[in-house]
Amino acid sequence: MRGIAMPETRGYQMRELMRVNMSDLSIKMEPLPAKWARYGGRALTSALVFTEVPAMADALGAENKFVVAPGFLGGTNTPNGGRLSIGAKSPLTGGLKESNSGGQAAHALGKLGIAAVIVEGKAADASARYMLVIEADKSAKLVRVDAWAGMGNYALAEEIKATRPADDHFATITTGPAGEMGLKAAGVAVSDPKGYPNRFAGRGGMGAVMGTKGLKAIVVSDKGLSYVEHADKEAFSAAMKVFANALTTHPVSGQGLPTYGTNVLANIINEAGGYPTRNFSDGRFEGVENISGEKMREVTLERGGNVKHGCHTGCVIQCSRYWVDKDGAYVTKGMEYENVWSIGADCGIDDLDAIGLIDRECSDLGLDTIEMGATLAVYMDAGKIAFGDGAAALAAIKEIWAGTELGKTLGQGAEVTGNAFGVAHIPVVKHQALPAYDPRPIQGIGVTYATSTQGADHTAGYAITANVLAVGGSVDPLSPEGQAGLSQGLQIATGMLDAMGFCIFVAFPVLDIPEAFGAIVDMVSAHTGDTWDANALLAVGKETLTYERLFNQHAGFTPADDRLPAFFKTVPLPPHNVVFTVSDADLDSVFDFVPETAAGLGIS
Amino acid sequence: MKVDVALFASLASFQPDGLSGRHTREFDFPDGMLISEVIASLGLPDEPRVIFVNGRHASEGAALSAGDRLAIFPPVGGG
Ligand code: SF4
Repeated sequence: MRGIAMPETRGYQMRELMRVNMSDLSIKMEPLPAKWARYGGRALTSALVFTEVPAMADALGAENKFVVAPGFLGGTNTPNGGRLSIGAKSPLTGGLKESNSGGQAAHALGKLGIAAVIVEGKAADASARYMLVIEADKSAKLVRVDAWAGMGNYALAEEIKATRPADDHFATITTGPAGEMGLKAAGVAVSDPKGYPNRFAGRGGMGAVMGTKGLKAIVVSDKGLSYVEHADKEAFSAAMKVFANALTTHPVSGQGLPTYGTNVLANIINEAGGYPTRNFSDGRFEGVENISGEKMREVTLERGGNVKHGCHTGCVIQCSRYWVDKDGAYVTKGMEYENVWSIGADCGIDDLDAIGLIDRECSDLGLDTIEMGATLAVYMDAGKIAFGDGAAALAAIKEIWAGTELGKTLGQGAEVTGNAFGVAHIPVVKHQALPAYDPRPIQGIGVTYATSTQGADHTAGYAITANVLAVGGSVDPLSPEGQAGLSQGLQIATGMLDAMGFCIFVAFPVLDIPEAFGAIVDMVSAHTGDTWDANALLAVGKETLTYERLFNQHAGFTPADDRLPAFFKTVPLPPHNVVFTVSDADLDSVFDFVPETAAGLGIS
Repeated sequence: MKVDVALFASLASFQPDGLSGRHTREFDFPDGMLISEVIASLGLPDEPRVIFVNGRHASEGAALSAGDRLAIFPPVGGG
């Protein structure tokens, strides 16, 4: 058992890797290799998966690794700096995945000085379930929890709590039955400040990687631990003030997000004609007012629910909220824009209570709500249930508990479901469902969907900023001009933010307020005592993407995989009646920096 | 001329009837009314805003036509 770490030993240089082997049940600590001293979060998960997982590995087999990493600034008092990265080879995309989550786990791991937990191998007995318990003194053990097999995330949270001392302070990382079944839409739940398992590393089947290793839960205690110290405390405080000020004064992060949550987007994306409706057949949803962020706020306040908190300690923007039922009882997290869209507009459902119940069911099963909404929409498009029928959609999702044939098909996501039921328009890239912005009238996001290493993912390069929101400049959303360059810049910057552990919503002020980016440089310099500049930060972003891109190439991806499904180029979308027109040459230019970056890293 | 005007998020309360819940109202404006004149007549705060006419971005100096839909948002984001 290791002694309690002292603050001065918890600087960034002292970070360690925890290696957990599910085959032989061993747990070892290793120093973080010096070459990765500037990595955290997504940079570290992607570097580790690139280095340690064979690209052709079976994503649900013993060769794959499940890597959990707090951002580089995790465990410090950096505003909005407590995001968590979960990496592995994705069973959904077949490529290198980083799935990002809020919740309390990143700070807990960061405070412990753990740069990453690497879970490898696979439990010898397929019926065995384990909980990895990491105590605040960094001692760790695997506890057998077979009785929890098949348990939903909410019941699991209660069971875990019952195993902990009453005065403990801990975070959980869990997988539901969908992950245990190895379903490709399974996500990983992370506990929020109240202990609800409602923050998700949802995308790409990370829950299936965790579950099929026999790992049901990770508990991290940070009881009594203070924040990690900075090399230059005063300089850090000065930079932090500038940064926090930018976050609270920019109208998007200072007003729109805390007041209405992310679903404030529903009306503006609908207005722009890019709100995918009924399986991407229309760009406007007639029921949008009923499911908008404005409506959610009104209803939640009427019912006495919470409409503003952080998904983790240290968030100053606070876009999270709770969705409550008519009696004011907690149902699920305040649904995000993406969830309300996928289960709502994409399925033609305009009832927030119906959406909330389906969101809760997906969260309890441990499923990605973006993928599942898109899957339900495809299933509706097949005529199996009617668009708009929330009760039938909920019943279909419930099939997954029992692992029926239908349940298992749906749980594999939109592509498997669409193929099983003969649907013509299946909105996926690299086998992952498109999120909540149609790429025909918003072409910049189409470039990100097509080219991202992650499969269709809006967060990878959020071109909605300049295309629709007039943040970070302005690029005509209906034109292909300038979209590839916009997406490239955003994908690199996002790689950096994900590596540092920032919430990507800091990008709204950072794109508009030059001092905010300077403050990030200054905070990282003051934290480490090293000199960083903008190029050094962006290099981390480029390197992150380079590991992912090369891994995907080794796994067999070619330029043909960097394309949208054909119907986006041939079927015009109302109301603008446009198709996606960015050229293949432009799409192929987005990763033009990779050869040079790879050469610099000495990898190929 | 008849024009639909929709105000969202923190701007919704600037609709003349002050009623919440619905964002769009039909107005009768003189022909060729400028967006800036609509903004002034509604008394919208002097803060950044994002404007659409018929689902396309528009500038405040643009003139409206009969049957147009004008939508005005404060800066918003999410994702
Ligand atoms: S802004 Fe929202 S998503 Fe970002 S850290 Fe805060 S609560 Fe979490």
